[in-house]
Amino acid sequence: MFKKLIDNAAAKSPWLFHINAGSCNGCDIELVAVLTPRYDAERLGFKLAGTPRHADIVVVSGPVTVQSLDRVLRTIEQVPDPKVIVTLGSCPRSCNVFKGSYSVAGPLDKYVPIDVSIAGCAPKPEAIIDGLALAAKILKEKREAMK
Amino acid sequence: MDIMDIVMYAVYILIFPGALFTCLFGLWLAGIDRKVVARMQKRKGPPLSQPAWDFLKLCGKECIVPAGAARGVYLAAPYVGLASLIVTVLFIPLGGFRAFGGVADTVVILYLLTIPTLAMIFGGSASGSPFAGVGASRTMVSIMSYELPLILVILAVGKGATPEGYYFTFSFDQITLIQQVFGPNLFDWRLIPAAVAMLLVIPCEVGQHPFDVGEAETEICEGPLVEYSGKPLAVFKLSHAIKMFVMTALFCALFLGGITTGMLWLDVVLTLVFCSVVTLVCMSLLHAISARLRVEQLFKFFWTVVSGLALASLLLVWFC
Amino acid sequence: MTYDVYMHFPVIAIMTLFVGAFLVTLVGKKETARNIIAGAAVLISLTLLALLVKPVFVDGQIIAYWMGNWEPVEGYAIGIAIEIDALSLFFGLLVAIAVALSCFYSFRYIKQDDARGSFFTLYLMLGGGVMGIVLSGDLFNIYVMLEVMTFAAVGLTAFRTWNPNAREAAFKYLVVGSIGSTSALLGTALVYAQCHTLNLAQISAILPGNMNPTMVLAFALLFAGFGCKSFMFPFHPIAADAHGAAPSSVSVLISGVFTKTGVYGIIRVSYFLFRTMGLTSMQTMLVFIGCVSMFVCVTMALNQHDFKRLLAFHSISQIGYILTSLGLCTALGIAGGLYHAINHTLFKGLLFLTAGSVLYATGTTYLEKLGGLARKMPKTTILFLVGAFSISGIPPFNGFYSKWMIYQASFEKAAETGSIGYGLVTVICVVTSVLTLASFVKVGHSVFFGQLRPELENAKDPPLGMRIPMWIMAALCLLTGLFPNIMLDYAIYPATNAVYDTVPYIDAAMGSGYAAEHLLSTTPFVAQLRTFIGAWNPISWLLLFIIVLAAIFFVSVSGKGGRGRALEPDAKHAVFFGGEEAEYSHISGGDLFWGFKHTMRHYLGFMSRVHTGVTNDYVLWGVTALAAIIAYCFAFML
Repeated sequence: MFKKLIDNAAAKSPWLFHINAGSCNGCDIELVAVLTPRYDAERLGFKLAGTPRHADIVVVSGPVTVQSLDRVLRTIEQVPDPKVIVTLGSCPRSCNVFKGSYSVAGPLDKYVPIDVSIAGCAPKPEAIIDGLALAAKILKEKREAMK
Repeated sequence: MDIMDIVMYAVYILIFPGALFTCLFGLWLAGIDRKVVARMQKRKGPPLSQPAWDFLKLCGKECIVPAGAARGVYLAAPYVGLASLIVTVLFIPLGGFRAFGGVADTVVILYLLTIPTLAMIFGGSASGSPFAGVGASRTMVSIMSYELPLILVILAVGKGATPEGYYFTFSFDQITLIQQVFGPNLFDWRLIPAAVAMLLVIPCEVGQHPFDVGEAETEICEGPLVEYSGKPLAVFKLSHAIKMFVMTALFCALFLGGITTGMLWLDVVLTLVFCSVVTLVCMSLLHAISARLRVEQLFKFFWTVVSGLALASLLLVWFC
Repeated sequence: MTYDVYMHFPVIAIMTLFVGAFLVTLVGKKETARNIIAGAAVLISLTLLALLVKPVFVDGQIIAYWMGNWEPVEGYAIGIAIEIDALSLFFGLLVAIAVALSCFYSFRYIKQDDARGSFFTLYLMLGGGVMGIVLSGDLFNIYVMLEVMTFAAVGLTAFRTWNPNAREAAFKYLVVGSIGSTSALLGTALVYAQCHTLNLAQISAILPGNMNPTMVLAFALLFAGFGCKSFMFPFHPIAADAHGAAPSSVSVLISGVFTKTGVYGIIRVSYFLFRTMGLTSMQTMLVFIGCVSMFVCVTMALNQHDFKRLLAFHSISQIGYILTSLGLCTALGIAGGLYHAINHTLFKGLLFLTAGSVLYATGTTYLEKLGGLARKMPKTTILFLVGAFSISGIPPFNGFYSKWMIYQASFEKAAETGSIGYGLVTVICVVTSVLTLASFVKVGHSVFFGQLRPELENAKDPPLGMRIPMWIMAALCLLTGLFPNIMLDYAIYPATNAVYDTVPYIDAAMGSGYAAEHLLSTTPFVAQLRTFIGAWNPISWLLLFIIVLAAIFFVSVSGKGGRGRALEPDAKHAVFFGGEEAEYSHISGGDLFWGFKHTMRHYLGFMSRVHTGVTNDYVLWGVTALAAIIAYCFAFML
């Protein structure tokens, strides 16, 4: 009985942890815009968590620079299961215009499996909400698959 | 004690007003708090059931014990805190209904309320994270801040005047009794500063915005809770919600007691409504309109303004 | 057992300790023999006093024993008396328990030291001296024992002679302590000159009501003398040095029982000999000194960087509670004070012993050099938490019950006198209590929790021989907190009655009817308030707590959530460090409570500045306090 409830809960209260992996701050601002009164992602239960230990969804923005690679991977590792990794914007997916730079180690999927990619430079808040809702659904599936 | 008594006590402890009801009502208060804050910011806000979903989700997450943690204390702390909070509820009268009378008085409640916070401090500090260390230190400062006004409020309420003379008491029964005869303390003009002080103490004790210096998620990654995940975190979040209920119920017992309609169940319901209203007034309102204080601002504010209000009430009660 | 048999117990209880002290020296280098003699001496002493519980506490008898059978002749007590009423036995038991437990702890604890031969000699002398004070019925005898005790304590403070701090502390102790000794001697001499007797019972029959200026001076001197021995404000700085430098098992005695002799002396002087406690001025003075002691010392404790110095300041703070409560002069106040006295001995003893274990395992008690010991010393951590919760008054441990009694006593006193000042005393007590909690959070965080210092990797729990006394103390902390009614009925209330009803004490020594003949009024002057204005039932609370905790665990286990098992230091289980690789970063004690320290910086800075550590300054404080007390007594007591 509890298992069913808990499985359902997984989709209803996804907490985000946002990692900036060398982003230009554009996507970050859009992510914050999602929490403003206009878009209000909190009505779907989304909340920004202060530490990876509390998070369900890790949102990575930026092309994953050499400097940030270690930190990004370590932080993702510290998120308890079940977890979903979301890339925000084009950078972490394809390195965008930074591709080929000596200082960029991306894209992120070279290192960790990515569940949801939100494309755009920067993505629109509507797109972000859509992506996060998809992430929440995946979260529930992962939770059901546990044990 | 026959079998009926045992069943009755079991119901008191486990269902109403004990574990089950306390948890549900605490989650309800946390829900309306979040909803109302959202509405005040012109947002739609999460559904009322959101804190419950959060709790259930956290129950299903993996629980990571950091390698540097003192494992025993780290895992036991949330459960001890939650249990002591639930027990505390049993001693606070709810509109004349009191599960266990004569076990604890107002001063004891003051001390019992430090146990959950202390559990959080020691649990966090056992995790070995420097963020938790800072959080533990800040949480302790907030305990120091609110304890002074709270004891002044308790003394001011404990010494009241009746037409027959003065009374001195720490006992809930007597405070309720006096209010039944002479009307709720909130309508006694001398006790109004104390009531305001108490309304400011509540969010500080609960750890609610703008007094949540200990758990500031944007500054120190939720302080003592930084390393917690899974079930222990769920229990801490539940304790946080229950604290809202305990503190508002304490406010109702001290200042809004003695309102009787003749029917016990109606009194209880009325008190629960009061609890919700007090939550909105002192927590949601403050949360929505203010930014977090700094640690030393918090301490100064509580030891000057809030304590001053409470002391004013004590002096008024004493000399008027 | 008949009276003829157990009347000899008290004197034997004192003598065994002194005889043991000499025997220990005789056996010389044989360590086992030394330990056996010391252990036997303290155990015999404890047993004999425990056997007196029934006749004295339960049956209410008072034992008057005349050394060499020199009984009073023609109404004058020439001989030396040993007189045990419930108050004496109460303090005697408290002393015996602390001495015995600490003695067993010392066997292993001092193994690391050189000069072990003289330790138990001095230790038993100290125990015997303290025991002599609380059981004696003779004022000059009390003074002699006070000196025996002081010199043994000075010797033990300097026991670790390689430590310059210890030598310095012993010197300060000697110098400042001599102010107290001198004034006590002078007071005794004045009393003898006026009353022509040194017997406590006889003085307390003759003296009250005959207060002339000489007697006021004698009272002030005796009060200051015993106050110095209890390290009340402003004699407290020497206590901090002495407790901090002495070996931990000795700190238990200095803090737990040595200071209690001062409290005992103040009770005897102001409630018995002079009966001045009925005066409002006297109550005000004692409450004032108590409040200042508790607040100043607790804020000083918050500033300390050394575990044992911090504990030392706390012991004065707790003595402040006891003095405040005794100064209220109500039955509930006296009961609360006495209850706090025994609680303080237990929890402070426990805390000093855990500090000793930390020192034993790591070689330091400096807070900034410790951290994360909970993983290496889990048993010590639990013991520490019991002690810390007791002293900061967390229900259901014992410290809470006595503090709760003190709050009620002061609030009732406010009701009785109509003075808001006593209401503020309650507030000061609560604030002190929360500051106490804060400083133990600081110790807990910086010694036992937080990150483990790399160099403490090899620390481990102390051996069983050291743990058992600590477990006994921890169990007593919990039991005295859980069964307050038993404590009250069988120990505290008999002792309380003995405090304010002096007539049986006088009659037992001087023959019945003596008190009625000499005392102006035999009715007790203490307000008989003994009603509790609140309610607290620790057993019910504990039962409810256990039931609820069990229910929560049941639900939690039935949910079968994932439980992290792995403790490997991989990336996943490392502490979150903002993404960086975790490194050693411990928030040490000095960094805690920034908001509080910043706001109070002027006060705390002032306090640190005036505690200079210079002996001259402390002597100046002591002499000033003596002068102030004398002036106050002359101004308000004639």
